[in-house]
Amino acid sequence: MKRRGRGIACMWYPIGFTVSANPSAATVKVNEDGTATLLTGTVETGQGSLTVLGQIAAEELGIATDDVHVVSADTDAMPMDTGAIASRTTYVTGNAVRLAAEKAKWILFEAAATLLGVKPEQLEARDRKIQVKGYPQRSIAISEAAHRAQVVLGQPPIGSASWNPPTVAMDPETGQGKPFSTYVYATQIAEVDVDDETGEVEVLRIAAAHDCGTPINPMLVEGQVEGGISMGIGFALQEQILFDGAGRQINPNLTNYIMPTSLDMPEIEVDIVDSYDPTGPFGAKGVGEPTSVPTAAAILNAIHDAVGVRITSLPATAEKVLAAIKAKQAQGTKGLLRNR
Amino acid sequence: MTKKAKVADKTQSTTLRTPGSAGDLLRLPAVTLPVAFPVETLVPEVRLQTPAVGQRATRPDGRLHGLGQTRYIDDLAFPGMLHAKIKRAGIAAARIRSIDTREAEAMPGVLAVLTGREIPVNSFGPSLQDQPVLADERVFHAGDGVAAVAALTEQIAAEAIEKIKVEYEPLPAVFDPLEALREDAPRVHAPDSNIYASKVIRKGDVDAAFARADHTFEGQYRTQMVEHVPLEPHAAIAMWDANGRVTIHTTLGRITLGRADVARTLKLPLNRVRLVATIVGGNFGGKNEITQEPVLALLSKKTGRPVKGVFTRGEEFASSTTRHPFIMDYKTGVSKDGRIVARKVRLVLDGGAYCSWSETTLGKACILSAGPYRIDNLHVEAYAVYTNKTMTGAMRGFGAPQVCFAYESQMDEIAAALGMDPLEIRLLNAFEEGSASPTGQALHSVVLKDTLRKAAERFGWKEPRS
Amino acid sequence: MTELTIRINGETRTASVPDETTLLALLRDQFQLTGSKLGCDAGDCGACTVIVDGKCVNACLMLAAQADGRDVLTIEGLATQERLHPLQKAFEDHASLQCGFCGPGVILSAKALLDEHPDPTAREIRDALAGNLCRCTGYTKMIEAVQEAARMLRGKPVGEAGGAQTRTTGQAGST
Repeated sequence: MKRRGRGIACMWYPIGFTVSANPSAATVKVNEDGTATLLTGTVETGQGSLTVLGQIAAEELGIATDDVHVVSADTDAMPMDTGAIASRTTYVTGNAVRLAAEKAKWILFEAAATLLGVKPEQLEARDRKIQVKGYPQRSIAISEAAHRAQVVLGQPPIGSASWNPPTVAMDPETGQGKPFSTYVYATQIAEVDVDDETGEVEVLRIAAAHDCGTPINPMLVEGQVEGGISMGIGFALQEQILFDGAGRQINPNLTNYIMPTSLDMPEIEVDIVDSYDPTGPFGAKGVGEPTSVPTAAAILNAIHDAVGVRITSLPATAEKVLAAIKAKQAQGTKGLLRNR
Repeated sequence: MTKKAKVADKTQSTTLRTPGSAGDLLRLPAVTLPVAFPVETLVPEVRLQTPAVGQRATRPDGRLHGLGQTRYIDDLAFPGMLHAKIKRAGIAAARIRSIDTREAEAMPGVLAVLTGREIPVNSFGPSLQDQPVLADERVFHAGDGVAAVAALTEQIAAEAIEKIKVEYEPLPAVFDPLEALREDAPRVHAPDSNIYASKVIRKGDVDAAFARADHTFEGQYRTQMVEHVPLEPHAAIAMWDANGRVTIHTTLGRITLGRADVARTLKLPLNRVRLVATIVGGNFGGKNEITQEPVLALLSKKTGRPVKGVFTRGEEFASSTTRHPFIMDYKTGVSKDGRIVARKVRLVLDGGAYCSWSETTLGKACILSAGPYRIDNLHVEAYAVYTNKTMTGAMRGFGAPQVCFAYESQMDEIAAALGMDPLEIRLLNAFEEGSASPTGQALHSVVLKDTLRKAAERFGWKEPRS
Repeated sequence: MTELTIRINGETRTASVPDETTLLALLRDQFQLTGSKLGCDAGDCGACTVIVDGKCVNACLMLAAQADGRDVLTIEGLATQERLHPLQKAFEDHASLQCGFCGPGVILSAKALLDEHPDPTAREIRDALAGNLCRCTGYTKMIEAVQEAARMLRGKPVGEAGGAQTRTTGQAGST
């Protein structure tokens, strides 16, 4: 029969490389009509980073996401980037993008200031306008400022910048130091049904509460959580590379390497908790990897809650779970029973 | 008298509307099909809003994905392009006595063959450069590449690598990381030890704290080797120009580093190397270092033509990086009210045949292994050990999913033993704003308890069970 | 060599290919329709899914010769010059594709489902997509998008699920 269980797991995860420098550079060019192009050396690997970086540039320039065209992925044409790794793109590349956009923005402010009769420091960029802080009625369209900068004053609004997270090296004896600039936190709670006659585990639903600092694009954050959970389910219950006695893989194919399909996914409820990191672009941190971290623990804790067996090695395949259930029944013991 | 309208003669010479039949007449290769898509801009409202941050903006590349118009590396073709295949060792540990490529070279349609000896600098790696581009003297895992072929078609290349004869002298191999730690274990690389990276984190006085603890819990937890399984296999296309510049279109997610690695292995200045990516069809850490790029570059140099290489799914599993299996020993001391007073952790990472991203994984896992909890007395030691298996590298989380499985499993065991709610014991121990991390760092923007409470609320943790 | 005549996305074409050529290789290499992808070449991942005579097939498992005389629909045949197919629109609005590699296969599996069952349950959608592996998304937003596309095709009003409402604009940058 099916037994229901639930399990919690929480986690923390760092953003960026461990201590070592991992800079990103970016260039923002504001075109004469107030739209912009962003050059970044990162590579889109599916998470939507180019869209998010475009949103960051747009926010700094006070224009809309669609006004920014993002170009990437050519070592000749784009500035360097340490890469789409370690969940660092929104935070590190994002900071570089924001700083680059800010530099371009200042050229716009200088072009607009004389027209508006104020000093550049008094200006802000909002709603596709350059306007006076505290007196927004006095404004010009960003297109006018951009045109004036490039065509009249001969100063094209281009900004380039780089950013690297500040860290402190770890002591070689004690490991004490500041290896990362920031961390994110999350909790996932899983509800499972365990069939105590077959050992099969079905994940019914997962409540996932994740911190990513300011969510630049909440829809893409949700996508990362859902995708990360699918990897976590595979890690918990299905996936394993098997080797024969001579060190050759037995199942290097998708027929025998079991991974989650649409039928294996639970109902997922995502919450992005309120959070703001002053060291990140507009308060953002990152989310790419953390989403797959606590899932297996939550599921395994739920299995224990359901049938009272503690599986201490992954994956918790049906065979393993069933063997543990049978061993527990045979021993007639209550409480915790270890099984490898 | 009415004139009959002329009826179009179907047998007359074809118009632009029926290019298929024109192809038959002119014996052209298949004429391309029209691909229709709306050109008039449909911009979603969310992309037009200001401010931009916080918008559920749709992705312009997402639109192209749905149209099938995104060009991944394997979708690209260049005039005169050849196809490359790499011969895989199939043996986990061996010395290479000889490689005989003559039969392969003689095959019609094979334009070049490459072995490790021809690679200017035959080693790479993000921290230790212990991985060969093509195995030259020794093989360290069954998926090692030992030779490569460039041919007119993929089929011919695949047949040609079968004809390459490699003579191996098998060496003793070790597959279990705990065995590899032993004094008498076969040495994978260096003669002194199979441990190639280690780290320690120490804080407070664990032994004294354990002595004071009301309860102590011990457990061992293990995780398995898994693979990224990106839907898109590794792919790259290399080509040269008359100024000695090589351009490599590749599925790498880190082209700055990729360029550095290619320049280094080919002994070229950085500005003679260009790496171009399009969109990577899934990375998750497996496409963060070079694999076949220098091989394709050298085959392209030999043949004077662009050369494309695409991994088979089998190569994805056996010849690209995987996630480190971990063996984790946890000892935790708690007070009777459930506060963690001491934690001792030992991590052994199955480090595979090459270092790859193991040092990073080791470092992160070490730091994260204590869990997001306030612990004053901590001792963590971690080791990465060579084994003669597929190299373990970067995979989503760098050790975090493994240690989280261990520390969260043990947390529940502690809660059960003390009769505490798993949620409450976590809230009791969780990091807060300003808490000290295992490395003594004062943490900021800490919202761990918010995530615990929010998830519990969403789940209905406090509600009575049905 | 195999001579064949095939109707692809409504257009008839002929081809002459080696006997062992798969339908996938025919589409990608011969006709330069690279929307169908090679993920495993063994019928496990579904990235090569196309619709042949109304049924979903893994093009890597079908010989080109077996497609002789048949009607094939690939991802390139869904949109028109006027509009995206509702599935493509919904997938975009819901950010249902991340790296996109599995996308064409998933969308065609969904289309084949909606052609037979215009009002599928979430369970039926999951079943229809069970042969399409995705590593990025966890499938969740795909299910939502298929449900929305089904509503669009049935002529029902659609909500803001996913958060995107579209409207035509003449020039980028205008409000």
